[in-house]
Amino acid sequence: MSESPKSRSVGGDLVIPVCAVAFTLYYFSTIIDSPWTAQISAFFIGAILIFLSLVFVAVTSRQVLKGESDLRFRSLVSPLRLIPKRLILLALTVLYIIAIEWAGFTLTSFVFLLASMMVLGDGRNFRIAAPLSALLSLSGYALFIFAFETRFPEGPFETFMKGLF
Amino acid sequence: MEFDWTIFAPLFAHTLTFWWIILPAIFLGLIVGAIPGFSAANTIIILLPMTLAMEVENGLVFMVALYCSSRMGAGIPAILVNIPGTAGAAATPLDGYPMTKAGKGQQALAISFVSSTAGGLLTTILALLAMPWLAQVAFYLHSVEMIVVMLFGISLIATIAARNTLKGLIAGFLGLMIGSIGADHIYATPRGTMGFLELYDGVPLIPALVGLFAVSEAFLVIEGQSIISDKGQTLMRKARWAETFEGVRIALSKWWHIIWTSIIGLVIGVIPGAGASIASFVAYQQSRTFSKTPELYGTGHIEGLIAPESANNGVTSGTLVPLLVIGIPGGATAAIMLVVLQYHGVTVGPELFIENPELAYGVFTAMAVTYLLMIFTILPLARYMSQVTMVSTTYMAPLIIAFTLVGSFVPREYMFDMYLALAFGVLGYIARKTGYHTAAILIGVILGPLLEQYFLRAMKMSQGDVMTLFSSRLGNVLWVLLFLSIALPYLLEYRRNRRR
Repeated sequence: MSESPKSRSVGGDLVIPVCAVAFTLYYFSTIIDSPWTAQISAFFIGAILIFLSLVFVAVTSRQVLKGESDLRFRSLVSPLRLIPKRLILLALTVLYIIAIEWAGFTLTSFVFLLASMMVLGDGRNFRIAAPLSALLSLSGYALFIFAFETRFPEGPFETFMKGLF
Repeated sequence: MEFDWTIFAPLFAHTLTFWWIILPAIFLGLIVGAIPGFSAANTIIILLPMTLAMEVENGLVFMVALYCSSRMGAGIPAILVNIPGTAGAAATPLDGYPMTKAGKGQQALAISFVSSTAGGLLTTILALLAMPWLAQVAFYLHSVEMIVVMLFGISLIATIAARNTLKGLIAGFLGLMIGSIGADHIYATPRGTMGFLELYDGVPLIPALVGLFAVSEAFLVIEGQSIISDKGQTLMRKARWAETFEGVRIALSKWWHIIWTSIIGLVIGVIPGAGASIASFVAYQQSRTFSKTPELYGTGHIEGLIAPESANNGVTSGTLVPLLVIGIPGGATAAIMLVVLQYHGVTVGPELFIENPELAYGVFTAMAVTYLLMIFTILPLARYMSQVTMVSTTYMAPLIIAFTLVGSFVPREYMFDMYLALAFGVLGYIARKTGYHTAAILIGVILGPLLEQYFLRAMKMSQGDVMTLFSSRLGNVLWVLLFLSIALPYLLEYRRNRRR
């Protein structure tokens, strides 16, 4: 991706207004047959949001047509070298949420912390990451589940500890 | 209702004897305030069996101390890692975090602690003195006035995000739209829920807070080796106790700023439902409007840190005024306190000040004692707390994701809320990378349901006449103030440019 120092990439700036308009239209579709009490506030807010978004798109389009900006997504994805790490971290986060329901807070947090730290540290920090992940997940268990009795997702480790104490 | 000075001195001395309850509550409050998902209200609910089992006096002192310290605790992660512990601290990172990035985290914490305690202490005393008059504020604000107050909150977003007002407004109204998700109040028609039953009650606040601030921050901080710059790291390594004392000196030199921004918090706190999030933004915006150097706001400006921290602690005293005087809680924590008082057979309202003045005034003396004890116990910790910013992002980012995501699970115990937090995280990441305000989106999410509620009430009472929005004298005054608050920064800038 070549980068022109003169023009500013504004493709990323359009993501939120476009999503906002799409969401507002979807929202309107869900209330179109509803009583007026369910519609009035949303139509009021939604109409302003669509207006503001269209103004922003118009202003941005003008900048693009004048050659001051381009429609690339550089501002959103930069720095490019971090894209793989970000995507892996996102995937690990999704897996963390999926796994925590049945594996519980302590075990899942340990695996997630270790894997994420290894990815972000380019796999060169196992000696620090492993004990740190264990310490953090066990501290989390001790503070939140054991001391505060917070209802975190529970799994085999929490069940075992509950039997122990 | 007049304040009886003769009971104050013995009451203060009596409250000091509760130090053994106040100190643990302070530390607990700091911890829960600093962790997104663990608000003071949630913690008090979790500990409700304990407070109900206590003597009413002990229980109240415990709740008040926890409430005050959690408000201060919420500012710590906001300053150090750009993650407000609660929505009330959403304006704190605007200038607190840039200070940390510049290696002044320790100083920023000391300024925040002094502003919070001084603002809290001052408004507690003011609340005691002005209680009979402040309580009347809640009576004068009806639906129309509340709509203007809410729009005032949103308009602030545009002026705070003044580098691109349009982006600020889009973010704020997108937040309002997201805040409108859920079943409607009368016919329970699902609106914008995408088929998720978990969204019928509306968008839960904690996943929104966690996602917009914490998860998005985790994906952003990995761009550097550390949260702070190399120059900042050098400064942090050199930092000694002198940095804390310098922070205290700077904060105290801005004593006038602390006074008037905390009073903003007190007055807004009295309005039921308005809360610390609006108060801190109002204070921040007013502080910038009347500043000689508004262009420095958002770059690590000291007054920009003092304003929200003083104001959100001012709210703490304010929310208890309508609770005690007219029996209307000013916020969630005050509502829980009402439950505890009612459980013990205590009737709040004017009779409380006649039948049990020690208890009524005792709430405020407990607050005063808490703030006094806080300054001596918390300030020395600033130096050590600020060291957290030296931790490599390799370890910090996963820690933030794991512990905050699971925090979003706690209030409702829905796995869905963790996915929701992640979705808000993606939205927050896009917003921050492209210059939209995540705080603006959050304030919109908070105000969305409230705005709808008041809007609907006003429309129903006027049988659909939109002109009702301009039918109240106080409402019209508020409209004028609202437009002035938007226009004033531009007018002042115009005047400054002309002078140049």
